[in-house]
Amino acid sequence: MAELSIGGYTFREVEPRRYVVSVDPGRLRELAELIVREESYLSTISAVDLPKENAIELNYVFWSTKHRVALIVKTRVSRERPVVPTIVDIVPGALGGELEAYDLLGIVFEGNTRLRRGFLVPEDLVSKGIYPLRKDAGV
Amino acid sequence: MAVVEIPIGPQHPALHEPIMLRVRAEGEEVVEVAVNTGYNHRGIEKLMERNSWVRGMYLAGRVCGICNAVHTQVYVQGVEKLMGVEPPPRANYIRTIVMELERIHSHMLISAVMAEIVGFDTLFMLIMRDRERVMYLKELVTGNRVHADIHILGGVKRDIDEVRRDRILSELRVIEERLKYYRKVFEEDYTLLKRLAEVGRIRKSEALSHCLVGPTLRGSGVKSDVRFDDPYAAYSEIPFDVVVRDEGDSWARMVVRLEEALVSVGIVRYALEHLPQGPAVPKAFPRAAKVGEVVSRVEAPRGELIYHIVSTGGGNPYRVKIRTPSFLNIINTEFTYLGHRLADVPVIFSSYDPCISCTERVLVVDEKKGVRRYVSLRELARWGTT
Repeated sequence: MAELSIGGYTFREVEPRRYVVSVDPGRLRELAELIVREESYLSTISAVDLPKENAIELNYVFWSTKHRVALIVKTRVSRERPVVPTIVDIVPGALGGELEAYDLLGIVFEGNTRLRRGFLVPEDLVSKGIYPLRKDAGV
Repeated sequence: MAVVEIPIGPQHPALHEPIMLRVRAEGEEVVEVAVNTGYNHRGIEKLMERNSWVRGMYLAGRVCGICNAVHTQVYVQGVEKLMGVEPPPRANYIRTIVMELERIHSHMLISAVMAEIVGFDTLFMLIMRDRERVMYLKELVTGNRVHADIHILGGVKRDIDEVRRDRILSELRVIEERLKYYRKVFEEDYTLLKRLAEVGRIRKSEALSHCLVGPTLRGSGVKSDVRFDDPYAAYSEIPFDVVVRDEGDSWARMVVRLEEALVSVGIVRYALEHLPQGPAVPKAFPRAAKVGEVVSRVEAPRGELIYHIVSTGGGNPYRVKIRTPSFLNIINTEFTYLGHRLADVPVIFSSYDPCISCTERVLVVDEKKGVRRYVSLRELARWGTT
């Protein structure tokens, strides 16, 4: 399997044109800055609730138009305190992804001033404080 | 001058996606735009977790009416990877044909809508008339005019016979002529140029940093097309050009679409003429997937469409994350309206290929007192005369 090194971080190829690296949430901003320099845009932020491991996994999927590969950054936060730093100031296009992950799974992106409930979730669920895509949401 | 807040949306009688733009204008100049969403969140991601892999396929096709075949494709190709199934070459070609027919009619639709929005109703009707030819071809191949539902895990549901193939090829000649004419109209018509050129310009660096995709990205000079960069279905075997323009304005985005529709005609023709022999319709398909995850991408008419599918084994997906191209193109383009006139807002918005409407109320904000009150459109119109 091939590898790709960007600023000291080694991305491992898991399938054709998909390179993955796992980091701590604290490294996200540094890594985002490095990836943006590779003429990349952020495709999506995909959050997966893992109640058995008491964690929520975040997948930042970037597409590098320079390397023509997807650069996937994986990070994990605890379900009780799901806080990661925002990357909206580095990648303005991350806004939608962060708003969505906050509204549907309750991930707090520290530093993003536009986070709000009701971005996608209807009011009746918001008023009950439910994050619908959590596995124990009961919706 | 008082800043007037005008809610544009969230209802539109003709198109999909209820969404609202809160536009703040000082006189005629737009000073702030905020996008309001959440009017139609259907919880399809959650529904998919509850349903089997096969049912998920039908759900995916119903995420969007216009680009349903690409949604099914991106889901099916991801699930096929998790299941270890490889579709036969003929099936891949048929999938490609259906997806390209879809791209042609989608690009024709937004060109028609754009014509209507700038007040060119004749052009709207002409394009919609000719779009019906493509819808007919889609019906000929899939059995349905709008919802293709031709995919099945490991192949397609219907094969294309010789009679259908010849019928499509002859119809494509007419469609190609019409598309060339509409491209000429968009390139040369004085009214369209006046309304579209230099409006909503996005620089190359802005398009990348704001994560725009599809014709919007390519209209700003970035050569990025999933069909070319990350080929799926039969695209690695079919020669085609990626259309790029450097202007970055609403006009460039529309011309990119019409050019692309012409490229799509070429792809359909090539695929039909080089249709591999062999089976296309599988006799059976698997019901369970292996443990794993896959990031599946396709080029929808509006840009990169991406699904992140997680499987923990068994008959259901554990998580399906859907990110549609319009999600990026609408939410991340608030900055492109600034400095333009109010009348340009619908043009810029339509150039991203979504849909909007105008409600009949206006919210006036008194910046000094912080008071808000609603005014009817009729009342607003009278202000101009006094």
